[in-house]
Formats: sequence, structure tokens, C-alpha cells
Amino acid sequence: MLQQVVAIIIILFFVFKLNGQKRKKEISLNEFYLWLTFWIFALVAIIFIKQIDSLVHNLGFSGSGINFLIYLAVMALFYLVFRLRLVIAKLDKNLTEVVRIVTLNNKK
Amino acid sequence: MKIICVIPAWNEEKNIFKVVENVSAYVDKVVVVDDCSRDNTSLLANEAGADVLRHIINRGQGAALQTGNEYALNNMADIIVHFDADDQFLASEIPDMVRPIIEGRADIVFGSRFLGKKTNFPFTKKYIIMPLAQLFSRVFLGVKLSDPQNGFRALSRQAAKIITINNREMAHASEIQAKAFKEKLRIVEVPITVIYHHFGQKLSGGFVVIRDLLINKIIK
Repeated sequence: MLQQVVAIIIILFFVFKLNGQKRKKEISLNEFYLWLTFWIFALVAIIFIKQIDSLVHNLGFSGSGINFLIYLAVMALFYLVFRLRLVIAKLDKNLTEVVRIVTLNNKK
Repeated sequence: MKIICVIPAWNEEKNIFKVVENVSAYVDKVVVVDDCSRDNTSLLANEAGADVLRHIINRGQGAALQTGNEYALNNMADIIVHFDADDQFLASEIPDMVRPIIEGRADIVFGSRFLGKKTNFPFTKKYIIMPLAQLFSRVFLGVKLSDPQNGFRALSRQAAKIITINNREMAHASEIQAKAFKEKLRIVEVPITVIYHHFGQKLSGGFVVIRDLLINKIIK
């Protein structure tokens, strides 16, 4: 119970920070909604952790609900790293194209 | 027919003057693409009589070749020869490389180290790295060539227009071969000689090539 309260306080702190960033226009509206959805999902997961425990148990997993959430988080992180890799590769390709244009223009 | 030789170079001040001089005897123009060298590569290539293009940031051999191709096409090249700056190829074999294009038998010509001419292969390269690279090229890229990784090639103007090199580093060699097969270009392999001064690409480099090919496929 205490752990849940601490987790909820931490989540609320981040939501508060997120709202501040939005008000100062440090992040776009889309980004705000993306992170808000993430924190709301985390909040719901913490509040209903017992129900998730039994759901995970019914699905045949041996670990607890919190373990299951950590697995999901790791999967999400892997996916985000993959997406970042692709974005960097695309930027890299664009940089090569810019270098090429500059090189050819310098020779004209 | 106007033949332009494209030589990508990075920190090659030791060899570039000699290579440009040797190649000049067999082509109409030599273009050295200096990939942001920290030494006197540009200066020496220029003194040897080459047209020198200089990347302001190091972008890799594949990127330098594509820059050279575009420059050669703008300069009305009928045939573009790709040649390495490290003095491992023989300039005297350029006529053999361009002949199939001049005779109208090929759109693209790949040099091969496995068609009879003597090459002083490092052991692991010959018996481990090359067979693995060949298997990968055959199975995943549909490339049926005797030499899967060779930098000595000649492209007709049409082939150079069709093939855009997207892989900026070493995966460009596989990419060019794969695109030549995909576009159903007329392909000829010509035996060439390679004189190894250093080992070149290692097995780990092969994994980087595979990674780059995959990423380039996804971000297209």
C-alpha cells in the first residue's frame, strides 16, 4: 500500500512537471498528450495492481503484475531505441545528401 | 567514348599521386573524391592532374563514389570506372574492364579476384570471409557473382543513372551488385589482380555491411 502511494506521488509529480513544460511551450501538444497518456496508463496500472496480478496469473505467467509491467516497459524501450536508430539513419542519409550538394556546388 | 575514373580517397597521401598518374594513362579524366582527409590527399591528387572534389565531412566510401558518379555524369561521362586509392588495383587492367561496355556487351562490369588472375589473398579472407559474403549475397540479395566485394568496376552512363548508391560506407559494394541484378542490367565479370598491402575488411566489417543494408532497406 505504501509503495503504491509513493508511486502515485512520483507519477503525479511528473504529470505536474509535464503540465509546466506544456505551459512554457517547451514541448508540443502532441508530445504532451503522448506523455500524459503514458503517465495515466502508469497511474491506472499502479492503482489496479492487484487486478493486474490476478490477470497475469490467469494468463499463466509465474511472475507478479509489477514484473509483467516491467517486461512491457522493456519491450517499449526496445521499440523506442529501434525507432530512434531509424530516425538517426534517416538524418545521416540527409546529411550525406547535403554534403554531396555542397561538394558539387563548390566545384562549379 | 568519354571514360571518367572516380577514386574515393581518405587519408591516402602515400598512394594518391602514383595512383592518379597510373590511371590517367587509360581514361579521359580522373576524379578524386577526397572524403575529408586530414592529410595532403587533395593537394597531391590535384598536382597529379585529377579533378578534386572534397567532402566537408567524412561520409564514407559509398557516399564518395556517389558524389563522383554525379560529377562524372554532369561531365558527360559515357563510362565511369570505380578505382581504389590504396594502390591495390592495376591501372593497366582498366581497358579490360571497359571493353565489354565499349563493345556493347555489358551495362556494368565487375572485377573479380576469383577468375584466374593471381591475387595474394590473406588466408582468412579467401577461405572464410569471402565464401560467407558470397553465400549472403546469393541468398539474400540474389547476386550470382564470383566476387561479392570488389571495388574495381565500370558502369555505363545508363547504369550509373539507374544505380544510386545509398549505403555511404562499405555496404555500397553489395548494394551496387544487388541493384544491377534487380534492374536486370547486362553484367560481365572480368578477372583482375589485387595486390594486398593490408588486410582490408575484416569479418566484423561483414556484419556492419549486413546491418547497413538492412537499415537502408527500412528507411527507404
